Amino acid sequence: MFEKLIEKGLEKSAWLYHLNTGSCNGCDIELVSVITPRYDAERFGFKIAGSPRHADIIVVSGPITSQSKDRLIRTLAQVPDPKVVVSLGSCPRSCNVFSGSYCVEGPLDKYAPIDVSIAGCPPKPEAIMAGLVRAVEILKEKRRAMK
Amino acid sequence: MKFPYLKEAVKSLFSKPSTENFPKEVKEAPEGYRGKIAFYPEKCVNCGMCIRVCAPGAITRTIEKVEEGDKITFQFYMGQCTFCQLCQDFCARKAIELTKDYLMIAEDEEELMVRGTFIKKHHLNHLYHLQSQLLLL
Repeated sequence: MFEKLIEKGLEKSAWLYHLNTGSCNGCDIELVSVITPRYDAERFGFKIAGSPRHADIIVVSGPITSQSKDRLIRTLAQVPDPKVVVSLGSCPRSCNVFSGSYCVEGPLDKYAPIDVSIAGCPPKPEAIMAGLVRAVEILKEKRRAMK
Repeated sequence: MKFPYLKEAVKSLFSKPSTENFPKEVKEAPEGYRGKIAFYPEKCVNCGMCIRVCAPGAITRTIEKVEEGDKITFQFYMGQCTFCQLCQDFCARKAIELTKDYLMIAEDEEELMVRGTFIKKHHLNHLYHLQSQLLLL
């Protein structure tokens, strides 16, 4: 009985971890605006966690710069296993205008499989919310597959 | 005694919440918003200006030879686009348009592709030349 309750509670409270890998700050500002009262993503149960060890969903923004590459790999390794990687904006998906630069080692698919990608440069807060809702659905499926 | 925010407090007791009811009411983007690209292949003349002007290189073109002419496919990859609208501004035939559609959520690359195919006939010019000669006769 309690197991079912816990399961439902886990489904309704996905914790986010925001990872900036050399982003231009556009996507980061849009992600912060998602938790403001106007859009209020907390009604879906999202919460921005301070530690990757507490997170279920990792939101990556920015092309992976060579400075942040090692940190990205280490941070992703610390996240407990049913995890969903969300790419925010165009940069993690394809490096955007930075592709081919000497200090950019993206895209993100090289290091981790992307589950949901939110396109836009930067995406609107509504689009981010819709993407996170999709991420929660994938997280549910992954939890069921693990049992 | 002063209650500095009393008026505001009473007002907000009877007003609607400021939170937007997002998944139920999807708001339209404002005028001039640059969202997902729409491509009209019937208007395109294959000048390639959009490819030259695109900073991230999100536009690619493949040309296949078929019987009637060249089968040309334009691909716009929304996962690499900066939504700067330069391709729309430089398109002489207005074949590219940035729509107000902003909900671009995908699980794989294929969902973020916008494609358009058309056939450019190569002996059209030749036919025109023949016709003008006939008219002269």
